[in-house]
Amino acid sequence: MIWSWIPQNLGLIEQLTLQNAYLGIVSALFGLVISVPLGVACARWSVLYPPVLSVTSALYAVPSLALFVVLIAYTGLSDLTVIIALTLFSLCVLVPNVVDGLRSVPEPVRQAATAMGFGTLRRLWQVELPVAIPVIIAGMRVATVSSISLASLGQLIGVSCLGYLFIDGLQRDFPTEIFLGIGLVVILALVADGALLAIRRLLTPWQRRARATAAPPSVLTPRQPAGQRSAQASAGAAS
Amino acid sequence: MITFENVTKRYAGGTTAVDGLNLEVPAGKTMVLVGPSGCGKTTSLRMINRLVEPTEGHVLLDGRDIQTANPSALRRGIGYVIQHTGLFPHRTIEDNIATVPLLCGWTKATARRRARELMELVGLDGAMARRYPHQLSGGQQQRVGVARALAADPPVLLMDEPFSAVDPIVRASLQDELIRLQAELRKTVVLVTHDVEEAIKVGDLVAVFRPGGRLAQVDTPERLLGSPRDEYVTDFVGFDRGIRRLSFFAAAGLDLRSAAVLPLETTAAQAAGVASGEGEPWVLAVDAKRLPVGWLSLADLELAPASVTLADLPMAGYGHTFRPETDSLRAALDATVLSRTGRAVAVDAEGRVVGVTSYERMRAAIQAAEQAAEQRHAREVADHGLVS
Repeated sequence: MIWSWIPQNLGLIEQLTLQNAYLGIVSALFGLVISVPLGVACARWSVLYPPVLSVTSALYAVPSLALFVVLIAYTGLSDLTVIIALTLFSLCVLVPNVVDGLRSVPEPVRQAATAMGFGTLRRLWQVELPVAIPVIIAGMRVATVSSISLASLGQLIGVSCLGYLFIDGLQRDFPTEIFLGIGLVVILALVADGALLAIRRLLTPWQRRARATAAPPSVLTPRQPAGQRSAQASAGAAS
Repeated sequence: MITFENVTKRYAGGTTAVDGLNLEVPAGKTMVLVGPSGCGKTTSLRMINRLVEPTEGHVLLDGRDIQTANPSALRRGIGYVIQHTGLFPHRTIEDNIATVPLLCGWTKATARRRARELMELVGLDGAMARRYPHQLSGGQQQRVGVARALAADPPVLLMDEPFSAVDPIVRASLQDELIRLQAELRKTVVLVTHDVEEAIKVGDLVAVFRPGGRLAQVDTPERLLGSPRDEYVTDFVGFDRGIRRLSFFAAAGLDLRSAAVLPLETTAAQAAGVASGEGEPWVLAVDAKRLPVGWLSLADLELAPASVTLADLPMAGYGHTFRPETDSLRAALDATVLSRTGRAVAVDAEGRVVGVTSYERMRAAIQAAEQAAEQRHAREVADHGLVS
């Protein structure tokens, strides 16, 4: 192992790391932006949900390299190709989590909101989505981690990212680069996950305080959402 | 005033939840809808704020068909309290209470100030304002639910089994609180419950529903207990309705005797003389302030040495007392039943004895109260054409 390579190439390493983080995070954010309206629609009109679920799962089953190749015809060897592919992959995790999150809103809460004079949109924005946040963010954590890890494949179509370190390391038979690449992808994923955890704590002070005082479970406690389980299961399948 | 005109609700499956309901809820009164589950009482309630739309007929609010109102605007003028509170878990107590004022466009500061006022009104500690619903007990959550419903001062309050998820002691205190609030606020309240005791306790009027969504009887609690219209209502109203009805008759009219109420300094011979002269088998001893001390029987007094004072003789405890100015005949009867002497002690606000009653005098008072109630009802029917 020749560790001296690392300090000599700090500039390159930093650039690759930032680029990889950018690809992963932006894809997950686009995924969220698409999943929220899609999930809201699926929660409201339940007939939509099975076909939407089939499509997102089918997309997820497409090998990433194959999807890159198809997209190259339209968007070329660009960041956009990678971002579109990763965004599509993230829907498979995010849409079910948005739906489960909305379904976790207790019926009395929904009914009380309607009876107090919330219109449909206002109720969604001020009551249902805020209550669904913990489940939605659980999905975001999985989607972001998997996007960051998948983004490294972008190097295969020439989009610079931490994947460069694997390919270059392989070609030059230089394990330092490969291990460094793996380490950085993992660290990046952990940092993003930690950041999302912090965001959730910030957005849901009601949950934090509820745990702190160890209040007895009440009818208002959202049930343990199934989405977290399904999100983690599909993430396992991805890696 | 809320009026149901020939309201029917049928569901697509063919079940009829409410069948030709005609009902009037007078302004400022509490109307309780009571009946077994599936009798249409909750459906009827939800038609008032248009959570459910009638299949036929009309619901009028102060003479206006609510069908013509914008649903959200209508609902902001109607408070709504439900069994599981439906508090927003992500909002603090004060923000939960401020919900409708904020929807109505009040500023955040004004709405929060109003929330604090309401917390005080429903008996919640202001320190809870910044907590979240999970951190409160069931009874406290229900108080928040009531405060939230009252926040924008709506003239109408709908309550759907508001107290059935809390334990009996908390439930009783919430019911008392509702009665106190209602005496102060005079809202038009419609409350749904399956508990006939609750209906009789909190209602000015009670509407008893039959299975199948039809009305069985609408009456005051006292009339419901005194004259249930048919077997169904009699069964529904339940056991010992005769005694429960006494809650609605004041004890003020009781014939109280005080001749055999004697100070502690009285001698046994004097007391025995008074008692036998009055035909009273029991003498009640009172202290210098006329607070009750205990009972002495005429037989014991006759056996005691003549010059001994009551203070030196063994006495039986005077048991429960009642206050004729505020208590009902039911409380007086209860005190009589619980007394070892078959006599109950009536006291004033300071606990001073004003007189003594007995089974015989209770019976006369009950009969008189029932007759008066019958006459009053007959007059009302004649005056208003009220048919029950």
